[in-house]
Amino acid sequence: MGFPHPPHPRENQILSTHFGDPAAVSLEGWRERGGYRALEQARSITPEAVTDIVKASNLRGRGGAGFPTGLKWSFMPKEKKGPHYLCVNADESEPGTFKDREIMRWTPHQLLEGTLIAMHAIRADVGYIYIRGEFTDVYRIMEAALEEARAAGIFGDSRVYLHRGAGAYICGEETALMNSIEGRRGNPRIRPPFPAQVGLFGQPTTINNVETLAAVPHIVTRGGDWYRGLSLSSPKSSGTKLFSVCGQVQPPGNYEVTMGFPLKELLHDLCGGPRPGRSFKAVIPGGSSVPILTAAEADETLLDYEGCVERGTMLGSGGVIVFDDSADMVYQIMRLARFYAHESCAQCTQCREGTAWTTKILERLLAGKGRPEDIDLLYDLSENMTGKTICVLSDSCAAPVVSGLNKFRDEFDTYLRHAVA
Amino acid sequence: MHQTTAIHEPVFTGENRARLEDEMARYPTKRAALLPALWIVQQARGWISDQAMGEVAEVLDLTPAYVKGVVTFYTMYHEHPVGTYFIQVCTTSPCNVCGAEDVVQALLQHTGCGDLGATSPDGRYTVIEVECLGACGFATPLLVNDDFIESVTPEGVPALLERYR
Amino acid sequence: MTDTLVTLTIDDVEVTVPAGTMLIEAAKRAGVLVPHYCYHPGLPVAGVCRMCLVHVEKAPKLQIACATTVAEGMVVRTQTPEARTARTSVLEFLLINHPLDCPICDQAGECELQDYTFQEGRAATRYSEDAKRFNPVEDFGPDVLYVPNRCILCTRCVRFMETVADEPVLNVSERGDRAFIGIHPEAQLNHPWSGNVVDLCPVGSLISKDFLHKARAWDLDRTPSICTGCSQGCNVTVDTREHVVVRVRPRTNLDVNQYWMCDHGRLNYKWMNRGDRIEAPLLREGGTLRATDWEHALARAAAMVRGVSGRAVALVSAGASLEALGLLHRLMERFEWNGAMQVVMGDEHPLAGTPDLALRSDRAPNARGAELFGFGRDYEASLQAARSAGLVVVLDDQLDGLDQLETEGHLLYLGTTLPGAARDAALALPLANVAEEDGTFVNRDGRVQRYLQAKAPPGMARPAWWVLGELLAALDAGDRLGTAAEAFAALGLGDLTYERIGLGGTLLENEVPA
Repeated sequence: MGFPHPPHPRENQILSTHFGDPAAVSLEGWRERGGYRALEQARSITPEAVTDIVKASNLRGRGGAGFPTGLKWSFMPKEKKGPHYLCVNADESEPGTFKDREIMRWTPHQLLEGTLIAMHAIRADVGYIYIRGEFTDVYRIMEAALEEARAAGIFGDSRVYLHRGAGAYICGEETALMNSIEGRRGNPRIRPPFPAQVGLFGQPTTINNVETLAAVPHIVTRGGDWYRGLSLSSPKSSGTKLFSVCGQVQPPGNYEVTMGFPLKELLHDLCGGPRPGRSFKAVIPGGSSVPILTAAEADETLLDYEGCVERGTMLGSGGVIVFDDSADMVYQIMRLARFYAHESCAQCTQCREGTAWTTKILERLLAGKGRPEDIDLLYDLSENMTGKTICVLSDSCAAPVVSGLNKFRDEFDTYLRHAVA
Repeated sequence: MHQTTAIHEPVFTGENRARLEDEMARYPTKRAALLPALWIVQQARGWISDQAMGEVAEVLDLTPAYVKGVVTFYTMYHEHPVGTYFIQVCTTSPCNVCGAEDVVQALLQHTGCGDLGATSPDGRYTVIEVECLGACGFATPLLVNDDFIESVTPEGVPALLERYR
Repeated sequence: MTDTLVTLTIDDVEVTVPAGTMLIEAAKRAGVLVPHYCYHPGLPVAGVCRMCLVHVEKAPKLQIACATTVAEGMVVRTQTPEARTARTSVLEFLLINHPLDCPICDQAGECELQDYTFQEGRAATRYSEDAKRFNPVEDFGPDVLYVPNRCILCTRCVRFMETVADEPVLNVSERGDRAFIGIHPEAQLNHPWSGNVVDLCPVGSLISKDFLHKARAWDLDRTPSICTGCSQGCNVTVDTREHVVVRVRPRTNLDVNQYWMCDHGRLNYKWMNRGDRIEAPLLREGGTLRATDWEHALARAAAMVRGVSGRAVALVSAGASLEALGLLHRLMERFEWNGAMQVVMGDEHPLAGTPDLALRSDRAPNARGAELFGFGRDYEASLQAARSAGLVVVLDDQLDGLDQLETEGHLLYLGTTLPGAARDAALALPLANVAEEDGTFVNRDGRVQRYLQAKAPPGMARPAWWVLGELLAALDAGDRLGTAAEAFAALGLGDLTYERIGLGGTLLENEVPA
């Protein structure tokens, strides 16, 4: 089985060039496709020089936060007082997002090469690739790739290991991920201290997303300026981005486009638009944690960090969830709230109790037992759950609820009208 | 510190012990080998009993309570025995709108499990709903033990189960 | 912490604190209590209850006071509408599943959930869903019950066992709103210091079996005292209800016991409530002891002392007050004398995460005090010497070996109860016990610490310092002692006074020239 759609001419394939090509998976295949030259190149220059290239490229974290990668690397101490660590965040679990899985499935060495370059840049001794426990197939692929690379002596003095998660969305949060590697509950840590000072095992640590690292070899080879120049709209957003399009759209799949690409064209031209006889109702452009857009808003949205903010949402992880006119938005929002209630680590009061309470109200509404005051209550709870906790899981639960209430109020009202008193 | 009441055959002997040692060598602390150690137990025994947690605690210099706290945090570790084939179906929004709940119904019907989380009378299957499996473009994805299966439809369920008899 | 000082403003009060101080501690110095649950100065910061959210000028959002370090010129406000709303909402979230069983909850009246809810909680609930419910009560260990429905998951107990006791037998189990405090089914919360989790619990979730349903918090009288369990000298509060000691809890003293006390000390109070007390001075007439009044008793005691020929021996308890021991020393100095204390020994149980804190093997709260006045540890030798002594004075009861004595009318017995051997005494004088008098102990580090009277002594029982003071005054026609403070001042320990010692104690070596 190949990648589920043939490349579209308007895609700008850099990371995804070899998706669907089984021959690219092996070390030999990857080398034939130019692999590991960037690593050689990076190792021939100083860590600072590598970091400068990445800084110049304007690469920003692809896991969701969009923090400049080169800057993040530069926070690592220049003088080593102990081991440095790199954590590769392959805990992809933001609903709507399935890009990292494809990178690892088809191009494990692309990730590994980026990992080793990053380790050189931050002077890391050990790298841990944290793969979510559910990715059993990808784990085996990465394991084989690591074995090949190790046998071929590609690691040099570096050590790279896989660490398998065991079912916890929150471990995609970088400090929770470190706790999980350390053998603890995946609880996010309070900051400061920041990982670059006190990270994994108390040592300076950088955590990068899979897609971020996969872009690094290309940047090293072709230069920071080249990557920075890849931008269709805001100059603050550069490069290409994988968008995982899913939900009620045909065909779903990963599409790699240049930053600033219009969401409307992604959905209608690259994908084939709505299913026959249907029309789009809502789009969540950046994974389930970002505010929902109406179809009309989606039509106006440019896919980069700034373009999404302009429309009141966020680029996030690039998981584009599409709902057509058959979708029950109240039910789907309840499902998202239930997701966050299920995944809350239980540390912060607002999150532990608020995600569960929100879910229960929505379930009651759906069961025909809603009350008019529930609407204000949902707004108020969401407000109380936003910006007040250690991590943003609580905020992420509030985002679809608030945007759903703002934009699809009529569907909530329908449930209220038909409520059994 | 604690007494084992039920008979517990140690997991960490022979090959499992070697695997654990290999895992432990990857980290600067013993504690960090906890998740790998629990995976080894689950692969060997199918689930992780309180006694097994005690054994893990002993080999990693932790307390059984600490281990239990970690086990209960991660949803993929089983604290109770499950069917021979443990089926986890994604029903989060992106898959949900593509009919994931129908897939669940088909699975419950064809496995004979009846209820989510219940094991079929023949002991073969346990079906649970899980949150996002990270394969949203391949609705509906599910896991049968360690096999990751994409694009399952209700109609495809009988054929799928044929492979797990 | 460094020596650098930082000045900031909290609710318009300017305060200067060492750099590195957390806002919540700086606020205390400014007289501002920031409401909180998970924070405790003796535990690592968790930052999870989110109750201590405060407004920090220039910060993009509210900050938790427990994990925000002070900065020069920082302006902090705890009463902005946003901060108040945030706290009110935390309280609302904490209460949605709370059973509100305050009428049967031991914590009622000293519950921080109750207190803060009265202070700034909502008047009525907005929660109309089914409440989550766990098993009502879990048995965690010898003295601790867990009521999960009341739990607010502050994790103080988990952090105490993990980092202070260094025996992580508690955990947070499950996640989301299914989370609870768990224990492995084959483990017990039986660490020698585990009772502290009951004090740490800000709500009624972890409760003491010993204290269960004994008293309501508002019926308790609370008295600062010193633990008599060993020579560590942990500062404690003795809680009494109608002159019965019902609970002993640690009182913070960073120089001695931080915030903690061991279970041995915590549960070592029941003898203070004994019913079989001597309630009147007993005077031997013929073959029996007869009750009398203090005037006659003291007159007889003075006559007995004046009539002594030969050596005198004192057998004392290491739990007698410094005042009593000092005055007894003065009495004994009239003779060729020796004296010893009995020190009961047991196992030593250090508290791993706290240096210099342990349940000490010598269960002797005032051994150093006794040594200060010449009472040695060779109890057996003194017991032997007592056989041929002209005067034997026994101070305090529960001493071993008294029944071996044949004192033939030479025994002056001062105690709280009358053990069999003391029935041979020429005179038995009823004493107040440690809960019934003011006094001082000197702990193993030479720290003199005061304890205060928590309840009334029974009948005519009096503090030992009073009894000995009266006796000395009668013998020497000297001044009588009116208070324990006067008795202490009479000990000749430099310029040291009760006032100087305060409730935190002081090291003798710093106060008294050698």
